[in-house]
Amino acid sequence: METRSENEPEVDIKASEIKYLSYGGEHHLPLIMNLVDEELSEPYSIFTYRYFVYLWPQLSFLAFHNGKCIGTVVCKMGEHRGTFRGYIAMLVVLKPYRGKGIATELVTRSIKVMMESGCEEVTLEAEVTNKGALALYGRLGFIRAKRLFRYYLNGVDAFRLKLLFPRREPEPFDSMASVDDESHEYNEHIHCGENPSCCQHSM
Amino acid sequence: MVDVSEAVKGDSKVPICPSIPSGEQTVWANASSLLHLACNDLRDGELIYGENFNLFAAMSALEIMDPKMDSGMVRTYYSVDEAIEYGAAPIPLSLDKTVDVQRIIDIMDHLLACEATWHKGCSLAQTVFSCLYLLRPDRTSSHALLHSYCRVMRATCNAVVCTVSDTRTNEEEDLFTMTHGLPLKVDGDDKCLTMLHAVEETIARQLRACKATLSKKRVTEDIEPLQNNPDLEEGLCKSLLCQLRFRKHFYHVVMNIKRPQGRGLELAKKHIACCFEELDSMIKSADFLRSISAPEDGMKNETTASGCQPVGFDSTLNSRLSAPTPPRAIETISWKKAAEYFQKLLHELEIICSYNLDPVFEGLLRFVVEFQKLRPELVARAHLQHLLVQDGKLYGRDSVFSVICKASLLPEVAKNHDIQKIEPVVQLGQLLITLLRVLCTNISWQRRKLGKILQDWRIIHVQLELAFRKECGDISATSSNENICMKICRHILIWVEEQTYWIASRFLMLGFELDLYSPGEYCMVYWYMYIILIKLAEKTHMRAMTSNDISKKKGKKKRDLVKEGGKDYQLPPAILFLQCHVYLAEGLTMMLAALRNERQMYVSTGPFNTEHERFVQHFELLLKACLPDHVSYYSFVETTAHAHLSNTAMYNCFKGAQRIAKELRSSFSNDPDKMAELRRIEQVAEHNSVALGLISRLGAVDASLKVQFEFSHHPFFATAVVKRS
Ligand SMILES: CC(C)(COP(=O)(O)OP(=O)(O)OC[C@H]1O[C@@H](n2cnc3c(N)ncnc32)[C@H](O)[C@@H]1OP(=O)(O)O)[C@@H](O)C(=O)NCCC(=O)NCCS
Repeated sequence: METRSENEPEVDIKASEIKYLSYGGEHHLPLIMNLVDEELSEPYSIFTYRYFVYLWPQLSFLAFHNGKCIGTVVCKMGEHRGTFRGYIAMLVVLKPYRGKGIATELVTRSIKVMMESGCEEVTLEAEVTNKGALALYGRLGFIRAKRLFRYYLNGVDAFRLKLLFPRREPEPFDSMASVDDESHEYNEHIHCGENPSCCQHSM
Repeated sequence: MVDVSEAVKGDSKVPICPSIPSGEQTVWANASSLLHLACNDLRDGELIYGENFNLFAAMSALEIMDPKMDSGMVRTYYSVDEAIEYGAAPIPLSLDKTVDVQRIIDIMDHLLACEATWHKGCSLAQTVFSCLYLLRPDRTSSHALLHSYCRVMRATCNAVVCTVSDTRTNEEEDLFTMTHGLPLKVDGDDKCLTMLHAVEETIARQLRACKATLSKKRVTEDIEPLQNNPDLEEGLCKSLLCQLRFRKHFYHVVMNIKRPQGRGLELAKKHIACCFEELDSMIKSADFLRSISAPEDGMKNETTASGCQPVGFDSTLNSRLSAPTPPRAIETISWKKAAEYFQKLLHELEIICSYNLDPVFEGLLRFVVEFQKLRPELVARAHLQHLLVQDGKLYGRDSVFSVICKASLLPEVAKNHDIQKIEPVVQLGQLLITLLRVLCTNISWQRRKLGKILQDWRIIHVQLELAFRKECGDISATSSNENICMKICRHILIWVEEQTYWIASRFLMLGFELDLYSPGEYCMVYWYMYIILIKLAEKTHMRAMTSNDISKKKGKKKRDLVKEGGKDYQLPPAILFLQCHVYLAEGLTMMLAALRNERQMYVSTGPFNTEHERFVQHFELLLKACLPDHVSYYSFVETTAHAHLSNTAMYNCFKGAQRIAKELRSSFSNDPDKMAELRRIEQVAEHNSVALGLISRLGAVDASLKVQFEFSHHPFFATAVVKRS
């Protein structure tokens, strides 16, 4: 459900005009929801957002331009088969604002927090056809660890992308929320992909 | 679900519902009023947090009445019966016999499209069984044509489901075989061919009669025409006949191809040839069908040859049966695409039927790898697996141990040796079967699984070694009076190692086919491939030497078997073939490393980690399985740190590959697959040595020179393309 047309003029902005905020509470929730709604047709229920932003508020960021929310990243982290890993669930930047490094900045902030929180690695899935996202994550050091056959219901495969942090002294992960454990290859819940109709998948 | 009994205790006003019998611990009650009260207390987006209903669970919540989430929302009818009652699937399809026939052909076409869509990964319920006629088997009995077609359709689906269930390895099959609640096995469907035959006969006679009339010959038998319009009689009869015959032959194919020990392959092949013919006729009759109907304009995905919307389908009715998750609207592929799919499927099945059931394991592996290059869909792959592994035997015929003995180049007598009964040998047999099955799966899953089973192959090697030592004493020292037991042990151990490296090389190569490597990682991937391929060549050689040595040169010392023999010794073609790959991998490694070292091309950096981490991630499973021993990121750095374009070693690699590939042509002249591979090797080697020359000559003066790596000549050995930007 992309409401913007392809040829909408790009906005002329300077990097310094973009403000980045960490998720700050319930008042940010509709902003995130509207943004994702606008760029992806997949209807996430409010509970999907809540799951992430309530449990890991420190991992979600919003980008603003002149008071308007124009980009967001939503993540989680937890124990997964013996490793403590971060997971990037949604990443969106409004069309006219793309190509200016905003997504890179958003996702970098989340990854930094994950690293500081003791994550050993970060993962996500992206459609094999989502060139933009693949390039973006590739530059951040993610590798394509696996290909997931027909991961999306439209029959498109996904890559599981992974970023491994350099090994460091093990730290106790004290108050980290570690909720579910998707032990199954096909169990991750949120996807992000170019084809917005297939972003959620819960096979 | 809310525990209603709890609710009942808390609120006595909730009426117990007597129409549903109570269980031992539960009682059914109407909770509407309770829910209503609770709802008044909750605002939009709020949630009751429970011990077994946390935020994670809430994510799976559906918004009722949202058509995108609530699959029950979008639908025309509530049930099949209601749909039928409202006339969605009339019998006959029209009182006008011509229209009736046309509509039946549309149904047949649409079913073909549905079937292909199912094969390509959608649920049976939402595809083939969106056909209301199929869902109510008794209803069609008054209409012989429709009835027989429905029967053969169900029987075919059932046969395919059985084969795929038998070969289950991963989730892909689960979705495919989900048939819960569908009338898949209907009494009488097994005799579908008899009925189909009778109907076919009638139409064939109608066609003959019509042709006779056209040529003004005297009609020999008095026969009622298929329909009322004499101008259309011939065309419609022909269209129906190819549809029916296609179904008949296709059913024969799926039934015969799965007969034990490949006994039905010859017959299946004959029926495949007929299928091709009938499919061709179906495609040819499309123009006719189109010309006589009035297809709706702008139907973007035509699922019928005529272009008309088929009668009697409703994909929303079954959607609840189709998946454990909220099912989505699926798109049925077009009739044209479906026909193409069946051509591809039949071609793949034909290859399976033409397979000679090679008793030599190496040959079998090559066959499977070649087969997978066609990117077969599930049904074709399942049939292959079904042929390869039956009753825990190869082709349902050769015991696993005898396969292992043959593969290890042991003499015939070995296969009856008691050593096959010891636990690790039995386990090795199971690993072999697993490997075969894995090799028949989709390559994404296959690669993941191959990575995991490497560990098993490593462990079994250790266990075999221990067990063998216990059984036969010291097996490392070979002596002239080596007994058969020792011999078996030595051979098998070498073969296991070789097999392990083969799996590792396949694992790495599949990474290219799955597009898992980015150009910045090519260097390390080729380096790893290089060391794995060397090991593979080494073990293959060792196996050949071990058997030669024992049969021919008894007593001769066999030190340094691994290393290339003296000048007088000619390596066997199979090893030289591997050597070509080794050279290409080495050449590419050094070329990429040199570009990186001298021209800062393909440097892979990122803010959060280094190449070291990416190396560990990509090769985690190989490193964990010590494939090979003592290898690490530092070995890679050591080899590549000093690579320079001025170094001639890499030219020699490409030249070497080219030379050997040329020489080998005569050894493989009757093996078209190998010949094709040799040609590819030569091309990659040639292009790369030219590119390399260009870069080192011009690179220093022209900074704008760009080097790209493409897979235009080989699926996993890249070709460098030099461009001025
Ligand atoms: C993917 C997305 C978040 C990128 O947002 P963005 O702000 O444009 O990204 P950035 O400007 O930070 O891009 C950083 C780098 O990524 C790469 N990149 C981003 N978009 C690209 C595209 N369309 N094509 C090729 N490369 C692209 C480029 O290398 C870019 O660096 P460069 O501009 O210096 O060459 C945005 O396109 C989007 O919202 N897409 C729809 C939702 C989606 O797919 N989300 C990701 C799912 S995991």
